[in-house]
Amino acid sequence: MIEAQGLTKRYGSKTAVNDISFTVQPGKVTGFLGPNGAGKSTTMRMIVGLDRPTHGTVTVNGRPYAQHRSPLTEVGALLEAKAVHTGRSARNHLRALAATHGIPEKRVTEVIGMTGLDGVAKRRVGGFSLGMGQRLGIAAALLGDPRTLILDEPVNGLDPEGVLWVRNLVKYLASEGRTVFLSSHLMSEMALTADHLVVIGKGRIIADGPVSDVVARATRSTVRVRSPQATQLAELLSGPEVTVTAVEPGVLEVLGATSEGVGEAAAAARIVLHELTPVTGSLEDAYMSLTQDAVEYHSATVPGTATTAQEQSA
Amino acid sequence: MSTATLSPTTPAKPATASPYRVTFGHLLRAEWIKLWTVRSTIWTLAMTVVVMVGLVAAVAGVMSTQIDDAPSGTEAIDLSLTPFLPAVQMASIAVVVLGVLAISGEYTTGMIRSSVAAAPRRTPVLWSKLAVLTATILVVAAVAVALGYAVAYLFLSRVDLAPQLSEPQVLRVLGGCALYLATIAAFAFAIGALLRHSAAALATILALLLVVENVVAAIPWEPLQYVSPFLPATAGSKITQTDMTVDMVNSMSEHGANLTAWQGYGVLVAWVAVLLTIAAVLMKRRDV
Repeated sequence: MIEAQGLTKRYGSKTAVNDISFTVQPGKVTGFLGPNGAGKSTTMRMIVGLDRPTHGTVTVNGRPYAQHRSPLTEVGALLEAKAVHTGRSARNHLRALAATHGIPEKRVTEVIGMTGLDGVAKRRVGGFSLGMGQRLGIAAALLGDPRTLILDEPVNGLDPEGVLWVRNLVKYLASEGRTVFLSSHLMSEMALTADHLVVIGKGRIIADGPVSDVVARATRSTVRVRSPQATQLAELLSGPEVTVTAVEPGVLEVLGATSEGVGEAAAAARIVLHELTPVTGSLEDAYMSLTQDAVEYHSATVPGTATTAQEQSA
Repeated sequence: MSTATLSPTTPAKPATASPYRVTFGHLLRAEWIKLWTVRSTIWTLAMTVVVMVGLVAAVAGVMSTQIDDAPSGTEAIDLSLTPFLPAVQMASIAVVVLGVLAISGEYTTGMIRSSVAAAPRRTPVLWSKLAVLTATILVVAAVAVALGYAVAYLFLSRVDLAPQLSEPQVLRVLGGCALYLATIAAFAFAIGALLRHSAAALATILALLLVVENVVAAIPWEPLQYVSPFLPATAGSKITQTDMTVDMVNSMSEHGANLTAWQGYGVLVAWVAVLLTIAAVLMKRRDV
């Protein structure tokens, strides 16, 4: 269980995390979703005491992280950068961490096996690929068999097999009653892995709830209508609740009405329809609409194309 | 790779009391593993021994062919320990590099985040690392000095100038060499802990030991002459010099304090204590 209360972090004049409160429950996978620079890593660093909050508090399993007498058995954390001495072998890195708690070497061998590092455990970490580094980070997080896991972008750099492995691993760990908090900037990944979502943008919580709720709330369902009398239909449908956009000549996109409603209205006015299609927004669209105002780094638009977010806001 | 290899655990993860604890003893053990699992440790410690023994052998070897008429009394003691002066100065470069890298390497690579996450009270990490580092260097330096002594004895006994362990001053200088190496390494460790960057910390400590202290000592400007005796290596290395050398160095400047060997060493210890205190306070406060 992780509980954050009014957590704020400022670096000079820049506010990375702005007065956020949330609870991460045990027994399920909680996704921490947000674009790059939204404050995900900073929040996670504050949870494990690497960064000192400017204001607010955060506790893990009822206590601030630093007050645990055996922190590695309470919280296993994989944080963004490689937190490993590049000159040390993977096994020795884990041995040193285990030694701080008196965790036996048998457990080191176990986590090496679990994370598939057997073949490279004796190699120096400096030569590791990003994926191998991630596996080592996950091995370190599992070392103390912790009740709470905090994983910052765990699938970063992993091959598809590794991504699947992490997905199954976190679900399994949550099913054992552990608290699992993992961050990602990939909505699709979260939809497959998480049960609960905390969405963050520009240092603020944008949404917090079960995945299906967050997606439903953020997804805009529209109706696509093609008609030779499009102009007439548009005038008929437009209202305070309904927005009609002409996508191309003869094609309308209706927001705020169901396909049944549009069809019935057209029939009543004797308007001919050539197409009537309900369009459900994708997860990516939901994510974009949630975070479009909260993206820290906007990409320049590629000429001739437009990003989904811009289309929606246009 | 599959999740099937996971060890079975209880369905709901209750707040079971863990048998594992972060203790100072465990941290010492962890730091011991860390120290010996990076190459820089082996390299710098090997360099310490090689430089120490090699330079003592070179100087004592030359002396054994050049000296015809050996002096006696305090002059003999002073001369018999001459080979150790350049040797300890060069060996100090090697231990200083180790002292810096032991801590700054963690910051430069990001390892410190793992270390601090495992021991979130932070300062015990600093103290356990310091303890393991200085104890190791003290032992290795003592071995190097002992080997150096054996070599010096072999060469210098030919010209009837072998350093005698029965002489308290000889013991003080030889023990002082080992003590100085461990303490100057602790000083370098403190610089590394403050600057948190290998290149910056190495540049600072080497510039201080090789350039700044020598320049300050050489410039005949009065204010600098008051400062010079209190600079860390200038003061600390007095413990590696015979009383005669200490007096001679002291008489070279008209101004400033004339520190004895142990007073000089005390000044170095004070430097280390002050810098480590600042480093510990900052370590508690700074984000890692």
